[in-house]
Amino acid sequence: MSEAMNVHSGVAAAHAVHHDDHGHHHHEQSFISKYVFSMDHKTIGKQFLITGMVWAIIGGLFSVLFRLQLGYPDQSFPILETFFGNWAKGGQIQPEFYYGLVTMHGTVLVFFVLTAGLSGTFANLLIPLQIGARDMASPFLNMLSYWFFFIAGIVMLASIFVHTGPASGGWTMYPPLSALRQAGEGQKIGTDLWLISMALFIVSSLLGGLNYISTILNMRTKGMSMTRLPLPIWAMFFTAVLGVLSFPVLLSGAILLLFDRNLGTSFYLSDIVINGEILPNEGGSAILYQHLFWFLGHPEVYIILLPAMGMVSEILSVNSRKPIFGYMAMLGSLFAIAILAFLVWAHHMFVTGLNPFLGSVFVLLTLLIAVPSAIKVFNWLTTLWRGNIRFTPATLFAIGFVSLFISGGLTGIFLGNSTIDIHLHDTMFVVAHFHIVMGVASFFGMFAGVYHWFPKMFGRYLNNTLGYMHFWVTMIGAYLIFWPMHYQGLAGIPRRYLDKKGWVSFNQFGELDKMITVVSIIVFAVQLMFVFNFFYSIFKGRKVTTPNPWGANTLEWTTKINPGHGNWEGEIPEVHRWPYDYGKDGREFIPQTEPVGANESKH
Amino acid sequence: MQHPAFEEVTIHHEHTDDATFKKKVRKTTILLSVITVIELGIGLLIYTMHKGENPNELLVLMFKGMVCILTLAKAYYIVSVFMHLGDEIRNMIMTIVVPLLLFIWFITAFIWDGNSYKNLRNTYDKHFQETTMPAKHQHKEETKPVEKPAGKE
Amino acid sequence: MATTATAHQTKWWSGGKSPFNMEYGKLMMWYFLMSDAFTFGAFLISYGSIRFSQNFWPDPNVVFNAFPGAGHANLPLAFVSVMTFILIISSVTMVLAVHAGHKGDKQGVIKWLAWTIVGGLAFLGCQAWEWHHLITGEHAVLVDGQIDIIGQTTGGNPWGDLVSHDAALAALQKTPHETLISLAHQSNHALTHEQLAAMTDQQLIKEIKLDELHIREKGPIAFGGYFYGITGFHGFHVFSGVIINIVMLLMTKKNVFQNRGHYLMIEKAGLYWHFVDLVWVFVFLCFYLI
Repeated sequence: MSEAMNVHSGVAAAHAVHHDDHGHHHHEQSFISKYVFSMDHKTIGKQFLITGMVWAIIGGLFSVLFRLQLGYPDQSFPILETFFGNWAKGGQIQPEFYYGLVTMHGTVLVFFVLTAGLSGTFANLLIPLQIGARDMASPFLNMLSYWFFFIAGIVMLASIFVHTGPASGGWTMYPPLSALRQAGEGQKIGTDLWLISMALFIVSSLLGGLNYISTILNMRTKGMSMTRLPLPIWAMFFTAVLGVLSFPVLLSGAILLLFDRNLGTSFYLSDIVINGEILPNEGGSAILYQHLFWFLGHPEVYIILLPAMGMVSEILSVNSRKPIFGYMAMLGSLFAIAILAFLVWAHHMFVTGLNPFLGSVFVLLTLLIAVPSAIKVFNWLTTLWRGNIRFTPATLFAIGFVSLFISGGLTGIFLGNSTIDIHLHDTMFVVAHFHIVMGVASFFGMFAGVYHWFPKMFGRYLNNTLGYMHFWVTMIGAYLIFWPMHYQGLAGIPRRYLDKKGWVSFNQFGELDKMITVVSIIVFAVQLMFVFNFFYSIFKGRKVTTPNPWGANTLEWTTKINPGHGNWEGEIPEVHRWPYDYGKDGREFIPQTEPVGANESKH
Repeated sequence: MQHPAFEEVTIHHEHTDDATFKKKVRKTTILLSVITVIELGIGLLIYTMHKGENPNELLVLMFKGMVCILTLAKAYYIVSVFMHLGDEIRNMIMTIVVPLLLFIWFITAFIWDGNSYKNLRNTYDKHFQETTMPAKHQHKEETKPVEKPAGKE
Repeated sequence: MATTATAHQTKWWSGGKSPFNMEYGKLMMWYFLMSDAFTFGAFLISYGSIRFSQNFWPDPNVVFNAFPGAGHANLPLAFVSVMTFILIISSVTMVLAVHAGHKGDKQGVIKWLAWTIVGGLAFLGCQAWEWHHLITGEHAVLVDGQIDIIGQTTGGNPWGDLVSHDAALAALQKTPHETLISLAHQSNHALTHEQLAAMTDQQLIKEIKLDELHIREKGPIAFGGYFYGITGFHGFHVFSGVIINIVMLLMTKKNVFQNRGHYLMIEKAGLYWHFVDLVWVFVFLCFYLI
């Protein structure tokens, strides 16, 4: 620990002066301070990634379980009873269990996997490496950020194992359902644990976000002006800003909900009769919670998506051997998205009893997001256009991201119109929309990042063949799973229902549901194959032999293949140019560290 | 000159002499106190207006608006003088001030919708309207005798 | 490094230095405070939203009119202005502590920090008194046709609209004996509890001075939740600020900052403390003034 502290003070004290100290400390680090309570941003990034993967398996498994129910509502699966006992009596998933599964699937994937697992991993890994810093501004708070996330995870995990089951009010945890213990098994201790876990998670995300912002602002190496930052860094920057400004609002909402549950206040409750009992609560408003929740919830969507966008921009440019098209337009659209993210939250609430005129203002603001999104899409496409593309698994996933972002983004325009939303709200159409645009697309960004930066993380490559299989099955599978849901939604099938046999008209979708379930099992299995690939390659993967295997310009490739704490052995390199000089003046790539030549053309 | 501990920072501020500094702090303290006293005065004014026969709602609203503006002035002095934000680099000030603009829409939308919720309930939930609407419009005359003789609360 | 910094045209954004000439800790503190401003903002805005969704909201001057030791005297806003001044003054002493830190004046830092801590504790004491007074207060309220005595809690609010004389009189007829006794006791302190207990209901009702009791209807329940929730959350911030200041005081005494060569930690603690004051300005506005 004390060694780590020394390294830290060295990092904070001087970029240049103490650099020769770093070599010495590493031999002395104990296992605990090197791998467990590590303050090295790269190790913390890996911790986030691996924890995120564990959560992704849990969350993904949950979705497979409730897909079984949706695809085969009458079938009995005795093995489920073996594992889950009363929750799956007679091999059939019970309603309470189903709601718990759906809630946990959403919570885990949105917060633990795609927020912490995605931006936690890559912000930690890439920010210091790409801006040329020895570590985060405060490695100690960075470590705390991970461990708060870890504890939040433990609390959430514990809630799955309590007798009354996990929270089951949906990942949005709307009151009055979530505020009343009498409302169901999942509304008992499970919901309290959910709220506590979220509070811890918010602390973690704040610690992380503050660190990312101050690191990017303060710790850039010489010559690394803001407009020379690689796009992933800009994306992480806006992500952190979104998190720092919006998570506190969720914290407020969660605290008020905790009070309503435990202290008899009436923030969200009014005029409630439950099980024949008239509750004394009066004057609260359930819509208020939705406002507070979505004030975070909408920026949260971009917290998930922006890092993926940034990484995809970088990977597409590197692998098509062309400069990113419209660097400043990319920045501008990131900025516009970040601002608009805060102004549109109530488009999730068109049918709650929101004032319709206010709703129309939200429609207008929502549709504005299409502009920066389209700019980004066209920039990615034009970056690829006539490029000398290397179809690595990372590139494929990046291209897949663009495809999913387009298909999912277009359905967003449907839902953003309040009139169309009256028909589509809370149907499978919504499920299809956000899974494609936010869920799977961000996962693709994450996979692209893992394949691309795996050599930097572990000094080895992931297996390519498995990577290609992973890509194609996931890509085709994602469309097979979510595309049909649009039709179901347009036909009016509601989401969150465990059994729709009551509607004769929906019986025609029975076979479709079976198909979706089968594909989701296959896709889940392929993700397990990726996890195998990941861990296998850490130890047995093909070794990286050159510091810059992708021929990329950014600073992380100027470090050793396995950089130690402090990243650069000598002085931190100085930066002389933007990061996207590919295919310029007859040269394939020109690293950022290379001074601009006298006869060089302008970019 | 570099900062002793942080090489990315050069020392530049706080070379004002003691006397000017103390004067500035004293001035701000007095200013904050005076504003607070004015706010209290307006608060009491609103109180007496509410006790009166027919409070002019518009005038009350105006006074409330004035208090809000005075509070913003107080906030400005605390942040800019006590927290020394005024002495920082302009860009730094902007990174603090600009995100706070989000509050404009945050406040507008929430209050707009709160108000709309009231109107909806008054329209569709007669019980709500009957039980919570203040009765003063109907039996203002009857309430008076209760308050008048007491003189003060 | 030094040469670039001393150049007249400093390129703040070109990397290798802080664009704001600010060390990362202070920067993080500023942005943390901003995110905390959103926490408080969300609370206060929720309060605003609920208040706008109600037909009636109590006048703060009626709710907050007590002063320690002044009995039942009607002193609207007097006590809260004392609290406000305590916080403003403690903010001033914090400024002086930070200033002393800039000069490396250890004794100055200790002196002013100590005063700041005293101010913080005084504020917390005031808040405890206020909460206690509100919760244990006995207010006659018309509930379901009879008079009830309740305090200001998260489940009940005694500050509704004033009840007319006739309605109050009618309600007294239906009010249980025990409640009548306490009401009569409020009106007439000369009689002991035993004497009152011996009286009949009608005798008690005669003793009760209705005009002084200001019987009200029930007010909006949400009032209590927001008041205790938000002032409590603010109080929690004051409390943590006091703890931080105490830690700073101990560290100063142990020469930690002197050995470090700078008192930047005091500056960061100061930012937090001023923020607490800043939040109070808005809490004061939202709950006590408008």
